[in-house]
Parts: sequence; C-alpha cells; structure tokens
Amino acid sequence: MLCDKFDSVFYNQEIENSCFDRPGAAYVHVPFCRRRCFYCDFPISVVGDNPPLTRQGPESAQGFGTIAEYVEILCQEINATPVLSRSLETVFFGGGTPSLLTVQQLDQILNTIDRRFSIAPTAEISMEIDPDTVELDRLKGYQAAGINRISLGVQAFQPELLTACGRTHTVADIYAAVEKLHQLDFANFSLDLISGLPHLTLDRWQDSLEQAIHLNPTHLSVYDLTIEPGTAFDRWYTPGTLPLPSDEATAQMYRIAQQTLTQADYEHYEISNYARSGYQCRHNRVYWENRSYYGFGMAAASYTNGQRFTRPRKRRDYYQWVQTLIEQHGAIDCVSVSLNDRLLDTLMLGLRLADGLSVGNLTEQFGEMVLSQIFACLQDYQQLGWVMYLDGSAKKREFLERSHPPHRIRLTDPEGFLFSNVVLTALFEQLSVTDP
Amino acid sequence: MTDVPVSRIRNFSIIAHIDHGKSTLADRLLQVTGTVSSREMKEQFLDSMDLERERGITIKLQAARMNYTAKDGQQYVLNLIDTPGHVDFSYEVSRSLAACEGALLVVDASQGVEAQTLANVYLAIENNLEIIPVLNKIDLPGAEPDRVKSEIEEIVGLDCSGAVLASAKEGIGIDEILESIVYLVPPPQDTVDQPLRALIFDSYYDPYRGVIVYFRVMDGTVRKGDRVRLMASGKEYEIDELGVLSPTQIKVDELHAGEVGYFAAAIKAVEDARVGDTITLAAKPAPKPLPGYTEAKPMVFCGLFPTDADQFEDLREALEKLRLNDAALQYEPETSSAMGFGFRCGFLGLLHMEIVQERLEREYDLDLITTAPSVVYRVTKIDGEVLLIDNPSLLPDPQYREKIEEPYVQVDMITPEEFVGPLMELSQSRRGIFKDMKYLTLGRTTLSYEIPLAEVVTDFFDQMKSRSRGYASMEYHLIGYREDFLVRLDVLINGERVDPLATIVHRDKAYYVGKALVEKLKELIPRHQFKIPVQASIGSRVVASEHIPALRKDVLAKCYGGDISRKKKLLAKQAKGKKRLKSIGTVDVPQEAFMAVLKL
Repeated sequence: MLCDKFDSVFYNQEIENSCFDRPGAAYVHVPFCRRRCFYCDFPISVVGDNPPLTRQGPESAQGFGTIAEYVEILCQEINATPVLSRSLETVFFGGGTPSLLTVQQLDQILNTIDRRFSIAPTAEISMEIDPDTVELDRLKGYQAAGINRISLGVQAFQPELLTACGRTHTVADIYAAVEKLHQLDFANFSLDLISGLPHLTLDRWQDSLEQAIHLNPTHLSVYDLTIEPGTAFDRWYTPGTLPLPSDEATAQMYRIAQQTLTQADYEHYEISNYARSGYQCRHNRVYWENRSYYGFGMAAASYTNGQRFTRPRKRRDYYQWVQTLIEQHGAIDCVSVSLNDRLLDTLMLGLRLADGLSVGNLTEQFGEMVLSQIFACLQDYQQLGWVMYLDGSAKKREFLERSHPPHRIRLTDPEGFLFSNVVLTALFEQLSVTDP
Repeated sequence: MTDVPVSRIRNFSIIAHIDHGKSTLADRLLQVTGTVSSREMKEQFLDSMDLERERGITIKLQAARMNYTAKDGQQYVLNLIDTPGHVDFSYEVSRSLAACEGALLVVDASQGVEAQTLANVYLAIENNLEIIPVLNKIDLPGAEPDRVKSEIEEIVGLDCSGAVLASAKEGIGIDEILESIVYLVPPPQDTVDQPLRALIFDSYYDPYRGVIVYFRVMDGTVRKGDRVRLMASGKEYEIDELGVLSPTQIKVDELHAGEVGYFAAAIKAVEDARVGDTITLAAKPAPKPLPGYTEAKPMVFCGLFPTDADQFEDLREALEKLRLNDAALQYEPETSSAMGFGFRCGFLGLLHMEIVQERLEREYDLDLITTAPSVVYRVTKIDGEVLLIDNPSLLPDPQYREKIEEPYVQVDMITPEEFVGPLMELSQSRRGIFKDMKYLTLGRTTLSYEIPLAEVVTDFFDQMKSRSRGYASMEYHLIGYREDFLVRLDVLINGERVDPLATIVHRDKAYYVGKALVEKLKELIPRHQFKIPVQASIGSRVVASEHIPALRKDVLAKCYGGDISRKKKLLAKQAKGKKRLKSIGTVDVPQEAFMAVLKL
C-alpha cells in the first residue's frame, strides 16, 4: 500500500529527470596505522612502530614499501576515475593514519588529484594526524603541499585512558603537537575526543573538555564510543557495564560536552561536531547534506552520479579492483541509489545537522505526499521534545499548520540528538519501500 | 497400464531413519525399473513438497508403481508406498504400512538402528509385513555392515543373514533389492470377488479436481464412474477419475484387489477422505470397514497472530486452504488483549507445527507471531466439570480446581553409551520417570522414560541432539494422563498481565522457570524511555522480578569517511524489527518474547 503511494508520488517526470550535483569533494583513505586501537574495526594495515617514526621518518619504517606501493595504485585510481567536475572545494585525508605518509607521497597524491580534478584555490584540504606521528619539518612540508586543516586524534587527556584504548601517543605528545601547529600558524585545526571510554568518569570527561578548550582548536569532534563487533573492546567489555561507563553516564557526558563546549563559544552544528563560527568542516557537510563526493583508496566510499560505492576492504582486492577500473575506463559496477533510498539517506544524514532538513528541498525532491508522511511520523517526537520545526528566521514553531509548513525540521539539542536513532527508525519504518 | 494378476503384484514400503537414504533409494528404484527416465529425474522424486526437499525428510507420503521384469522372466508390478519419517506422523505411517505386504528396512551401515526406525519396524511387524533388511551406504569408508547386522538382529530380532548390502547413491545392490521384493514379499491375497474395500493411506487437495485420494484396494474391484462410500465419514462420491501413480498420475478404468492407485471425486476437503478410512461401493457395501481407523488428534497447541492486524482475513483464508490438505490441523479464532485477533491452532506435534508456520509464512506471505506451544490439560473443577485446556491463560483459578492432569508420553532414545549420563540428566530435569535401559551392541544403549508431553514439546529434541552431539535419536508416544501439582505462571510486563506468555508449570519448577523467563524477557524486550518492570507470578504472588532500565540514548556517533552503508543497514534492521513488535500497553514487545519460554 505504502508502495503505491510512493509510486504515485515518485513517477513524476520532473523527479525522474533530476540530475545529480557535480562532486565538489574528495575523500582519500590512507589505511595504515602503527598499531590498531582497541576500539577500531576499520580496514587498516598495521605497519608497526619500530624503528620509531618520530626520529627518522616513515621512510625507514618496515611498512614503507607497502605504503609506497599503495600510493602508486591510489594515484592510478585517481587517474582512472571519470572527471565529473573541474573544481574541488574540499579534499580530506582520512585513515588509518594519513600522517604516516611522507611529504613527497602526500604531494604526489595532491598533485595527481589537482591535475585531474583541479583543486580550487580556496579549497579546504584536511588531514587526520596522530599526535605522535609528526615532527615539525614534516608538518611544514604538509602545509607547503597544501594541507590547511588538521584533525588531531587526541581521544583523551588521561594517560591511563590512552593506554586503555591502545593509543600510541601520550598526553605530552598532544601538547607538543598543538604547540607545533601554533608555531606553523596552523590556525584551523580540530581535536577528536571519545566519550564512553573504559575508566572514563564524568569528572575526567569534564577535565578533558576543558583541556581541549584550553588548546583553542577551531573545531572539535566528540564521539561517543561504539563497541564494534570484532574489536578488542568487543571481546573484553559489555556496553554499559564496568569498566565502561553506564549508558546513563555516557548520555550525561554527551550533555556535559554540549553544555561546556557551547558555553566556550563552539557551535554544536552536528550530532558529534562543534565549531567556532565559520569553521565547520566543509568536507563533512557534503556527506550530511547528501551531496556527491569522490572517494579514493581502499575501503573508501564515493557517491557520484547517483551511485554509492564502497571500494574493496582488503588491499589485494582493492589493487585488483583498480586494475579492473583502468580496463573498464573508469566504469564502476554498481547500481544507482533509488529514489526511496535517496530519501532515507537525506533524512538520516540531514537530521544529524543542527540546521536539520530543508522542507522546501524535501518537497522539491520527493513530493508533498512524502512530506505529510514525515510530519505525521514526527508528531509524537515533536511532542516528546525531540523534534523541532523552525520558521524562515530559524525561530521555533510550536504548531504545525498545514497552510504554512515550517522551513526546517531538526532534532533538538541535546535530547533529540541523543535519541536520533529512535526518530530515524520510525521514519525508516514509515517510509521504506520494501525490497522487491 | 498392463493388467497383471494379483500373484505378480508386490506392495512394499521403505522404513528408514532421516538421512539413512530412503529417498535416494526410492529414486534409484524408479530409475532402474525405467519408471522415471534419468532425464526427468529430479533428485528425490517422492518428496514433492519444497519443505521436504529442503529438510531432506518426508512429510507427506506418496506412492509409485513400477513395472519390473524379474530374473524369472515374468513381469511384476511393484508398488512403493512411501512413509513419512517423523514421529508426529506415526498414524499415517501405520496406515501406509497396512497397505503393504512387505517393507524394506533401510539402515545406514555406518550408523545403525535409530529410535524412529525401531518404532516403525514394530509397526510393520504388527501389520505382519515381510521385512527385508537393507544396509545402505555400504560404499562409505566408515561402513560396518557386520556390526549393524548384529545390531538389527539383537534390537529388532530380525534375521539378517539375507540382508542386502547396498549403496543407493552408487547404485550398488539395487537389482538384489528388486529381486528380494519379488521373492520375499508375499503377493496380496486374491479377494477380487469380495465386496470392495480400499484403504486410504494418503490424500491431498488439488484446486482443480478436489481431493485426490491415494488408496490400496484390499478386496474387490473399483471402476471409474463407481459411486463409492467412505465408511467412517459416511459420505458418498462418484469417481470422476481413477489412476495409478507412476509416479506421475496415469488414468486407468479399473483397479482390483492388491493394486494401488488414486481417484478424484470432487471431494471438497481432505477431512472428508481421511487417512485410514475405508472405501466401499455405495450400491454393494462391505459389511465391515478395514480395521485401524482413528482420527488424528492434535497434541500441541499454539496461538498464531498476524503481525499486521490487516492480515487476519488472509490468515483465515490461508488456514482454510491448508486445512483442505491437512485434516490433522485444527484452528479456531482467538482474541487476546495483547495480540489482537488470531487463531488457536492444534498440531500433531512440534514438527507439524513448524511446518504449518513455515508454510503460512512462505507460501502465503504472512508475518506471524507464534505463542509458545502448549499441550492439552485435563482440569477437573470443584463442581465436577471436566475441562480440556489447551491455552494456559484459560486455566481456571486454583480455588475452582479440583485437579489438573497432563498428558504423559513414553520417550525411547537410542544413544551411544557415552551420552547416557547427559540424556538421563536431561530427562530427569524434564520431570522424567526412568523406565528402562538396555545395552545393545557395541556401546549402544536404549533409554526409556515417561515424561510429561509439555516437557517434550519445548526444546527436548534439540537438547537431546546437542547433548549427544547429534548421535542419539528418539521416538515418543502418548501413554495417558496423570495428575500433577501444576500451577499457572503469569507474566506481567509493566504491571499488565500478558496472556500469551502464561504457562502451566510444575509447582516445584515455577520459581526457576519464572526467574529464567523474566531474565530472558529482560534480554529480549528493547529499552523504552521509561523503566519497565517484568514479573512472573502465581496468582497474586510474584515469584520473580526484573526490570528493563530506561533507554538513555540511541545515537550513532560517526560515519567513517562518508561510508553511510553500515549505519543505514542498522537503521533498516531496527525499522524492520519495529514492524514485528506488539504493543502491550505502552511497551513494545518483539515476537521472540512470545517464544521465550522455549529458550530457557
């Protein structure tokens, strides 16, 4: 029945012919780490930390040959990828540990991307680094190569917590890394923190937040630990039981972060992200606004031409896939995202943002019928205080009037964000067209 | 079809344990006799239900007529009447055996005799069948024909000197089997001149022709166009179509004593032509029906509710259709405050229940919630009234009860010696009363217990298999009702009594079951925005209590590098799960919770 409704809404020339935006963002995955953190289930290769990277640089690390080979193939992939746009607004090096790349390797990748897709002069070029993997010279080299935004994987400010989650760096490393960033006038940098780590208490969490604020980053990512299946944490711990904090405590940590950071003049612009005005991560916003992006490297996801594709998660498979890509002249074997999936993606991603969803855009893309279904579904949650409607001047709307639909739909902060999955599940239940 | 004298007809069935190769052997016989060409051979021709094919077991029996030219140069007609291989259907087994003069006892030469085989062999012996032992899978490296032969001799008491060594898979010993059937199985008695009596051993519903009845003519002759009477149901029909199974249906004009065939007569439901009933001519009826007819009675009951209330009518229609083909299935509407509208259904046993559920979901595309199975309790009230209760929530309160009796079964298990301990422990934990233990050959043992059926219909079979690492086999049969100290254990979720979760348990186990049940429910019921107490009680006395803490957060922190697929899968899964939740007051309870009592 639901299906019929959808069809009547969706079989609409205008919508079928809608074309996709041209990708203005590129994600580059660097799947190497010195060690695997205990919470991590991401596809990476562990290259080890002997001899120490900090003294002689990664050239001497045993993983060097592997990394060099990877960079070669990564560049082949970039060169084989069809050009859909001639100006990239953001490039993001994620990992893994991208700071295991030498300056030359980074330069090579960036040049390859620039030659093929052209990186805009004003582009945001971000790189994730670990506090103990960079010395001043290399950081300077990255900067010269074009990196203008750094995301520093701090995670915690307590030595015992860092040890407990298998991080290789120390608290001193964090301070030293930030000091180097300041020396180089790297004004735009972000810190990552994780709440809900084993042995974390509310006091320690408050302390971490304050130390983070004291380092004066432009941006903060605050993640609540998820115990992923197959990780060391998954083998050792049960969510909500010691030494992990209770759900009540981690929910409280979320509220504390929201309070502390907004008071310190950081805007809570996404479920897990905070930024000074003007410093939101432009690259990540592309994901949340369900816009197109290129993806390069092992396990990297891309969304181009209405197709979502995740690259193979094993290195050998990825290398083989790149060969196929070259042979097929850049054609990827994957299906386009259906209109129903695009709706679900838009909702799932857009509701992560404090800006929420634009009612106008939703109506334009998916039709009015869908909008009324969304409003019907959200009614209970609005009453619970988890969902909020905003008018044109971002003022809260108490009542939903049929004749004057609100301009935006968002989850409230912090309660709506904390229960976002409950709201999304209800939307998915209501709006999913069952698989044929 | 060639007409053959009665003296050259052989009717036989195959008795075997699941996996011992019955279906493969049947296929091989069809192939070797040229009944089915190799080209049209689908694997396991006789098991025509998908479900049977998937599980490799026979549920509904069928028949096949084969023409075979024996070494003596004579042409014989061999009728294979297949038997279902599961304990739930032992009545149907007994009827199909009654239609035969002989049986092949197929035993896996690398395994040995199993409990179910034994039960069926005894049925065959009771029916005076000539039994031909066949040791199958002789080609396997682990085959021990001598050990298995002596086992058959000791357990069953059959002479195995003439046993055929075979491998149905490799085609070894097939000719020998065919020759043994011709020489050892006696021909049917020639009673063509007597009034017609034919035994129904199976029937199924065909949407175009009505019920197709499979039968064996015991006496007399039946012709197309005859008006026949079914002696138990008293109903009369005119035969539109008569034929034999080869194994596809081939029309003939008449069948006489000794032959096996089918007929169609615009019969509307299989309950009108039940297995075991006797067919006779309306014009010239036989004085007495054939012996052995009983109506199969459901032993296990459960509630079936559509997940989506809109599907109630669809469920009713589906049950009606299934019932056309399954006389043992019973159902009547049931309403529950928690579950809405549904049906209380009765089944022959657990497998039967599982099959029906699966067919409803698979063939009729229904989403169902099933409540835990219950047996039929006999309750005597203070005023002397006797009630049969198949739904625990309907058990009268203690002040109105004089006594409760429950069905007991005798469970016979055959197991390698080393698992005797664990199986005794299992039986004892299920209130079993030890009856007998016998050592068989080479470390194999039979164990007999009397156990309340209620304790068997939960997960007894699975437990027996897991505790014996799959080696033990079992068989059970009803031995009668016995009085016990039984109580109704209620479950309250958020203070509300949930009827479908009520169970009848022995007083001594109530505390343990209650505690395990609330713990399990705590695991299964998702967190809500509020704290939910879960209690088990006997009357107003709470025997166990737990609570589901309130949901404090439900948020995904991160999507790595733009890869949203995992997060989306998770949400889609949650959304799908949510569809299968039933609201009990303000609490959403997942379907598994209603089966929780089975998983304690």
